[in-house]
Amino acid sequence: MPTNDAKSVAYAPLAPAVFVTGKGGVGKTTVAAGLALAAAEAEGEAVYVEFGDAAAGRRVLRDRPVGLEHVTLDPAHAVVRAAEPVFGSAALAKLALDNFALRPVIRAAPAIRELGVLELARRVVAEHPGKRVVFDMPATGHSVAWLKVARQGRELFERGPLYEVCSRIERELVSEGMASIVVVTLPERLVLLETLGLCDTLEDEVGLRVDRLIVNRVPAAPPPGILDEVVSLTDGEFAEAAKSFGDLLRIRDTVREQVMHALEDTVARQPNGRDRPLTLLPLATKAPSGAVASAWLTDAGAT
Amino acid sequence: MSRPEVIVCAGGGGVGKTTASAALALSLARKGHRVLIVSIDPARRLADAMGVELGTSARALSVDVGRGQLFGLMPDPDDALRTFIEVLFEDEPDSVERLLHNRLYLALEAAVPGIHEIVTMTLTWRASVENDIEVVIIDTAPSRNAIDFITYPKRLAKLLGGRAVGWMAAMGRRTHLGDDNKMGRVEKLLVRALGPAARDVAGLFAEMARVRERFIMLNEHTSELLLHPDTRYFLVASPTAAARDDVDFLIRKLRSLKREARAIFLNSAFVLPRPWIETLQSAEGVSGAFREALADLQREEAVRNAATERISRSFAHKHPELRRLLLPHVEAIEPRAIVHAIADQFAGSAIAALPNPRR
Repeated sequence: MPTNDAKSVAYAPLAPAVFVTGKGGVGKTTVAAGLALAAAEAEGEAVYVEFGDAAAGRRVLRDRPVGLEHVTLDPAHAVVRAAEPVFGSAALAKLALDNFALRPVIRAAPAIRELGVLELARRVVAEHPGKRVVFDMPATGHSVAWLKVARQGRELFERGPLYEVCSRIERELVSEGMASIVVVTLPERLVLLETLGLCDTLEDEVGLRVDRLIVNRVPAAPPPGILDEVVSLTDGEFAEAAKSFGDLLRIRDTVREQVMHALEDTVARQPNGRDRPLTLLPLATKAPSGAVASAWLTDAGAT
Repeated sequence: MSRPEVIVCAGGGGVGKTTASAALALSLARKGHRVLIVSIDPARRLADAMGVELGTSARALSVDVGRGQLFGLMPDPDDALRTFIEVLFEDEPDSVERLLHNRLYLALEAAVPGIHEIVTMTLTWRASVENDIEVVIIDTAPSRNAIDFITYPKRLAKLLGGRAVGWMAAMGRRTHLGDDNKMGRVEKLLVRALGPAARDVAGLFAEMARVRERFIMLNEHTSELLLHPDTRYFLVASPTAAARDDVDFLIRKLRSLKREARAIFLNSAFVLPRPWIETLQSAEGVSGAFREALADLQREEAVRNAATERISRSFAHKHPELRRLLLPHVEAIEPRAIVHAIADQFAGSAIAALPNPRR
């Protein structure tokens, strides 16, 4: 079983840009906000970036410290903003993108929006030199395809302004040392297996290491001896009730065991001695605030 | 074939949407309907709980549903573009050959959001005709953008049906001939931006232009399933602020498409009665840890109920016209057991009921 020396693994060697990714509903926003707060605390300044309507950030960053900037990027406008250098100027970009033939292409063509989002992400990092920039990435049903588009674009275009945009994103953002990938997942066997597949894809196809694997909402182990005590009650008037209690404890125990086995497998499967530091965050009865998550990520709060 | 009833289940991630969709499908099949459950986002949960396998055709599921029948369809997103091309270019082997050498096509193969949805809807249409399906339940991807896929085929059809295709194809010919003088200003801009890839881009459009009619037909099938006035949209949430925000967003999005959601399913909203907790609390001679474990269960339940109350109230306030169905939080080792327990809850509710089965 991996040990959980959270102080050493939770925060220290992350790159300037931190992409927090994972399936929907796993707690990405909480973890991203927690990392941004931890960075602001440790380094004085940090940036939390979300895509969309700023609602998530407002929810988790209620008492945002002065050093933490909250940036919202709108994916809907990403393409137009990102296209300026491709066409040479804002006016030329508008001319091209408003073209009767190109507009429907932009609206329908795959990967263009992803490329736009990555270009804006690159600019945020460039505009905040020396600051940790934590991206709360949108949940995608399509795993991590968006991180690959820069490389694919570079290979496709060979030269020209789009080639320049793609290779600059690759060089300044989506490369080792520039960006850290933090993958958030849940302690359910099925979800975990899907996440491990995602990590493999990231490392093999995008060439980025997963710097953190964060398993959120890990249930605590039942207090020792409880199950024995329940079993001892199986005679007499409490027998039926004790059986129900025992069943529930056993279900939780089995589910927990499955998770722990799946986690052990991840550690066993690390290829070429590559390390995916693992952080376990506890299951809380209420959704934690960013500040609480920050404490978990920097202290040995996760057990 | 008469049009099947179509139910679209949408919601944010992690709310148990796949489980709720599967449970709804199961409860309708038990009532005697021929039901097809379709997953846009291949979920292992569906594979585990219902035995649905990846593939391009629907399979009958071996689940005991009495007179009804349950089918599952879960296309593989990794095969989406290939399947798309197979369906679209069925009688055009030369085009397929050219596409296989088009670098843009090859680059697309790895990442094609949108195409997968169209392919899935096309396969759904085919599967429901072949299997005489009465009810189709579509489990969308777990994201706010899940609803976008409803309009995606239309956007693509507009692209292929409009002047863009001819324009791009012509641009390709001129680029090929080095005929720069005949190019318009935007064409020049684009050719410069795309670099050597301009030929591949234009080539892809030229191929698409050949199958425009066929694509528009596929798109009509998709619209018939997803945008028909009778299509029912159900939103799935769990008692969290994030899930609530996602549902609010999806309701607005549906309205912008002039569609109304039918109801909200609030998953994991309560635990089924556990009278045994109180019984055990009266037991004597048990340890402090034992009592504490029981108290923890009650605290968990109280927190869950309070959250459900809060989220329910918010929905009632913001969407008074929408009915809500609370679904239980079920703990079990087998996903199948969870689906069955939730299906029981659907069976007892009129919210998701459909007209009587045909037979």
